[in-house]
Amino acid sequence: MSQHDTVNYEAVLSKFREDPFTYVDIHAMHTGQIRFHVHEGDQVEGLTGDFRHIKGTLLCELTRERNQKPIHCTTKGEVSFVNKDLDGKFVQAGEKIMTIRHPLKKREIIEQILRKVLVPFAAPEKAKYYFAMDIQSRIEKFGQRSVSVKAGDELFTMSLMKRDTPVFYAGESGLIHSVYFKQGQSMEQGEPLVGICPPEKIAVVEKVITRVKAEWE
Amino acid sequence: MGVIFPTPESLETYIHREECPRRLLAATDLPVADIFRYGGMVGSRIHAYTSLPRCMDQARELIKQQSGLHQSLPSGTMLFAESLSGSKGRFRRPWYAPDGGLWCVLTLFNQWSPQAARLLSLAAGVAVCETVRGLGLPAQIKWVNDICHNGLKLAGLLAETHVCPLSGEEYILLGIGLNVNNNAFPPELQNIATSLAKQTGHEFSIFDIGQDLLAKLAWNIGLLTWLDENDTSLSPFMDRYRDLCDSVGRTVCFGFDVQESPQYEAFVTGINDDGGLVLRHVQDDVELVEHGGEIIYAAK
Repeated sequence: MSQHDTVNYEAVLSKFREDPFTYVDIHAMHTGQIRFHVHEGDQVEGLTGDFRHIKGTLLCELTRERNQKPIHCTTKGEVSFVNKDLDGKFVQAGEKIMTIRHPLKKREIIEQILRKVLVPFAAPEKAKYYFAMDIQSRIEKFGQRSVSVKAGDELFTMSLMKRDTPVFYAGESGLIHSVYFKQGQSMEQGEPLVGICPPEKIAVVEKVITRVKAEWE
Repeated sequence: MGVIFPTPESLETYIHREECPRRLLAATDLPVADIFRYGGMVGSRIHAYTSLPRCMDQARELIKQQSGLHQSLPSGTMLFAESLSGSKGRFRRPWYAPDGGLWCVLTLFNQWSPQAARLLSLAAGVAVCETVRGLGLPAQIKWVNDICHNGLKLAGLLAETHVCPLSGEEYILLGIGLNVNNNAFPPELQNIATSLAKQTGHEFSIFDIGQDLLAKLAWNIGLLTWLDENDTSLSPFMDRYRDLCDSVGRTVCFGFDVQESPQYEAFVTGINDDGGLVLRHVQDDVELVEHGGEIIYAAK
């Protein structure tokens, strides 16, 4: 039995009902002296712009050897925790410095639940991706959720410095259920590109989506 | 076959007599002989054809044939064709490749770290640009690797990774198209493309240009390999790229497929050591770094 078979959807849905937020912890990316620019309760903006190219709210700055490294917010929400004792002090790389509470929209709740069910396929490198020609033409003809993939299929073309590299799918067979990238958008290494749904999970996935859509305002 | 192409033997002699002394004069702080050894696979096998549909497809076929014989196509094998009947650029754009041009593909077994491998398409651009400059035309590179002169495209490059379906071996195919003596272009390319003969008013020897290009590829790929193998910063290679690239300081339109879907206008402020183009978004005044896609220069 796979991990996905053991997901208790009632419990997951109940958890989201009780606390419809996600909590994003911010950590120091390197050592340095920290200066906070926000307080608990402040509303903050994440990345915006058509290509997510406009930085979010300045949360804090780390200074190391006179080099200042600003840390910007990547998620819209509210500052729910700031480790105020650290202000003006030297912090270690990896130390938790604050938490952002992000209110989940209906679409995000569905995505979070689906990520427990779908098999993610992650970007092998930071690059731009597009579907392989055969997959793209099948998506255009039959629709995304009718296109099945299996291990060894050429799923994407990865474009990096004008070199196109085929990316082959490795994972459980299934249908392309969710697409997490846009053509022309840079994806970080490890970010999921698609979520693949094994055929036997289609029914439960549709049920979950219908319930969330019906139950959440 | 009307055109004579270089051979591995003629290339070796040319590198020894011409290219190596040139590099020794120019690159005094680099181990020139070592770098040429690292690039020694380039042109170690050369296949010449009168006509092909596409050099890229022929390279894939050779890789497959060798794999069927339980062998590998030697890295550095170069394929030349006098003309191509079905050539294509990126996004399946048509590429016009009649007699008179230099049409080739270099096949390289992928032996590099990801950081160095991503710069191979730039290395090919530097090699082509140096070859053209050696003929007296002050060509420049438009990021990523278009070779232009007077705002017109002289050469185009196409880089693809190919995984052999039989052996699973990964090759990098560098396709190069240089307009040499081909003077006539279809109407849709007349205000975009040019050739060496059109720019200078005289014809060139395909043999000489092909040989010089191979020597320049041997140097630039050798330099990248040497830096990579020695875990050294790749900046000596990127410094040369930046010398030849005229994109910095230009206002450009950026897009993944810029001809079909232009995305935004920006000002180019630099090129990073990883080849990334540093841009300042005109409308939003924020900095972006792009590692894929292409640019069109705005009119000055």
